[in-house]
Amino acid sequence: MVDSVSQDLEKYMDLVSTRQKLVASNIANVDTPGYRAQDIDFQSEFQRLAADEQPEVVEVPELKIKNDGNDVSIDRESRLLGENALRFRLASALLKDKFSLIKQAIQGDKS
Amino acid sequence: MSLFSSLSVSASGMAAQRSRAELLVENMANAETTRTPDGGPYRRKDVVFESQQVTSPFSSVLESEMEAATTTGVTVSDVVVDQRDPEKRYMPGHPDADKDGYVSFPRINPAEDMVDLVDTSRNYESNVSAITAVKDMIQQSINLLT
Repeated sequence: MVDSVSQDLEKYMDLVSTRQKLVASNIANVDTPGYRAQDIDFQSEFQRLAADEQPEVVEVPELKIKNDGNDVSIDRESRLLGENALRFRLASALLKDKFSLIKQAIQGDKS
Repeated sequence: MSLFSSLSVSASGMAAQRSRAELLVENMANAETTRTPDGGPYRRKDVVFESQQVTSPFSSVLESEMEAATTTGVTVSDVVVDQRDPEKRYMPGHPDADKDGYVSFPRINPAEDMVDLVDTSRNYESNVSAITAVKDMIQQSINLLT
């Protein structure tokens, strides 16, 4: 319905929410024995998503494994939680700007 | 829909941490309990967490419509009871004393339970922060419409 930049923004927001969901899972399972932190490779998944493919969930490599076989790092997850929220805020602000341009075009000089 | 399922994931984390806190508080309340329905002194309890797929009736209908990425929540899979021998204290006047005058008390170390409780409380907070962050994201998506 709108231009390609808006479509990319939409996919970007989709990917950020997928990642945020994985962060929420990791935080919920911080004390689950044997649980391994999950994430997506953000850069390469954005390319894939632009080609309409589903993102692939992978285990995060090189995290320190605790005695119970769990490797969730709460510091890493907190950082990602904040980062994703900011990325989403930026994308939604840009998208809102796009929409307001369309709105202005519809309303002419009345606004 | 993926943002809404993150809320369920964090909620499952909160529920799991809450049950753990309940057991830890129970342990401390019963630190001196010498009588239980099963006989013998109280025994320390702790939880084992297990990851679990989060689904709701609403999402199961939607999943048939949309390809959903896996959502891993958490659940309490087991409550383990401490099997260590009770602590013997020499109290001949106590009604639960054995023939040698020793009373079996629960083997509970308050420091152990307090540390676990602080851990539980922090993990609960992390889940609440995750919910807050996701809620803000949903709110921003809604604001796109206004």
